[in-house]
Amino acid sequence: MLRQDINELLTQTGPGTPMGDLFRQYWIPALLAEELPEKDSPPVRVKLLSERMLAFRDSEGRYGLVDEFCAHRGASLWFGRNEGSGLRCAYHGWKYDVTGQCVEVPSEADNSSFCQNVKLTAYPLVRVGDVLWTYMGDPAKQPGLPEFEFAHVPPEQTYTSKRWQQCNWLQAFEGGIDSSHVTFLHSGGLKNDPLFKGAKGNEYNMKDTKPFFEVADSEGGLFVGARRNAEEGSYYWRITPWVMPAFTMVPPRGDHPVHGHFWVPIDDENCWTYSFDYHPVRPLTTAERQAMIDGHGVHSKNIPGTYRPAANMDNDYLMDREAQKRGDTYSGVAGIAMQDASLQESMGPIVDRTKERLVPADSGIIKARQKLRKAAIALRDEGVTPPGVNPAHHRVRSAAVVLPQAESFLDSCRDAVTAIPGVPQSSV
Amino acid sequence: MYASESARAASASEARYRITVPIAPARAARVIALDARAAAVTRRVAGGPWANARFYTCEVTRGAGGSNEPAGEVPLYGLDGSPAALGDVLNGTDVVVVLATDDSGRAYAAAIGRACSASAITTAGVVLGDGFEAEDAVAALRPHARVLLLSADESDVFELLTALRV
Ligand code: FES
Ligand SMILES: [Fe+2]
Repeated sequence: MLRQDINELLTQTGPGTPMGDLFRQYWIPALLAEELPEKDSPPVRVKLLSERMLAFRDSEGRYGLVDEFCAHRGASLWFGRNEGSGLRCAYHGWKYDVTGQCVEVPSEADNSSFCQNVKLTAYPLVRVGDVLWTYMGDPAKQPGLPEFEFAHVPPEQTYTSKRWQQCNWLQAFEGGIDSSHVTFLHSGGLKNDPLFKGAKGNEYNMKDTKPFFEVADSEGGLFVGARRNAEEGSYYWRITPWVMPAFTMVPPRGDHPVHGHFWVPIDDENCWTYSFDYHPVRPLTTAERQAMIDGHGVHSKNIPGTYRPAANMDNDYLMDREAQKRGDTYSGVAGIAMQDASLQESMGPIVDRTKERLVPADSGIIKARQKLRKAAIALRDEGVTPPGVNPAHHRVRSAAVVLPQAESFLDSCRDAVTAIPGVPQSSV
Repeated sequence: MYASESARAASASEARYRITVPIAPARAARVIALDARAAAVTRRVAGGPWANARFYTCEVTRGAGGSNEPAGEVPLYGLDGSPAALGDVLNGTDVVVVLATDDSGRAYAAAIGRACSASAITTAGVVLGDGFEAEDAVAALRPHARVLLLSADESDVFELLTALRV
């Protein structure tokens, strides 16, 4: 359980909140690059950390992320005309560039200096990999760009999707470091999902449903090791890295691509789940990429033209009791992504953590909450830069390995949990 | 009418209809410090607002009158210095949190872990420090501890106990 005041501290990310300020120390995903595919693409409404913004790309292809509302009388710039190196409000024609600078106020005299004093709040928007990242904090403290491996391997080796999740970011993120649910909730996927099935590790997973855990600090966050019995004298370890505040990776299975998530607050009751899949050393096969597009693995099948999952709260996640009975799925909901999302959303928009009964197996979650709280308070009270801001902290990987029982996963897996270009993932 | 039960049930307004009953402390926890530094941490943590937790060390509390050696392979003492037998300490508990900061308690770690496993008591180990000074203690705990928290942060003990509602 968690005290109510701490629950509020961790779940509120709007401007001026301690957790909001913490998120504003980092580059975070704002959109997929595919949402602004070309020069003068239609602008896109973006809400992050409880701030409403508009993303657009000007006639030179530059990216901008600005206050959604016009400085004149507050109309949404989403209706604007994106042309001639700027975005022009559809109401009275005020025009802004990608930095939010007003460049034209038609009602003023030509060459008037009035518009120089009009500037919308704007944040940098930068493409790294298939994601457009933004940094919403103090420009003087802007860190180096993200170095997560999924965003740096060649384009043919990586795929990223996103989906709207109707709950607070923290309960979504907590699912990402909660290794003990896999054998239950996702048991169907281990057998059937094209991006999961067939790995030797899955057998260990299914045979031993009572994993043991080790939780250790890393420079940027945590490593959570889940250990199951393997052959006599050895353990099967699944190692999940967390890089603060909201990046997690799933341990790999066989030679399947490696996957993970970025959990980004939209507001306090909604978040974006970015799901990526990449292979460190080879292109994704056509079949793999198609499976990802079709919503297998950690991805979701979304309503065409949107990032809302086709199975969602409004249709009971397409619950299939027959499939549940047959054992095709454990919960009756299809797909790993929606199995997670359905249960996390079922907790309510912001789960009441004063009512939990945690067990020692939840220690990864307990420790992560504590690290977030400490980092938010150290930032607020002493201005301490939190873990995970330094791009060097991003170069981690998940791993799945079989080790002799006496060995510590941390000592044996230093290389396995480090992202080294050109080196394959450690996977069973 | 709502389109689905999920949309209805998970709304913020429905949350206030959840049944609220006070949650009794779920666990009768025992916290056992394996070495001197761990004992110091345990004494600090023991002052917290715990319902059922009891605290022990594997060495005599300074100044207290614990002159008798406790029976068995683990020399356990309550924080007041009174000796205790491991079997009695484990009796009626369902979670044991073992604290270590170095290797001096490795033999105790193994014995406590074995005893907990034999009695189906969930064991959690918190290893404070950079971990390297307590490698053997970690190795001794590993087969038995459902979770090992390798931590640089003494407040993890407090957080763990709070989260477990002991
Ligand atoms: S078993 Fe974990 S939420 Fe129900
Ligand atoms: Fe999951």
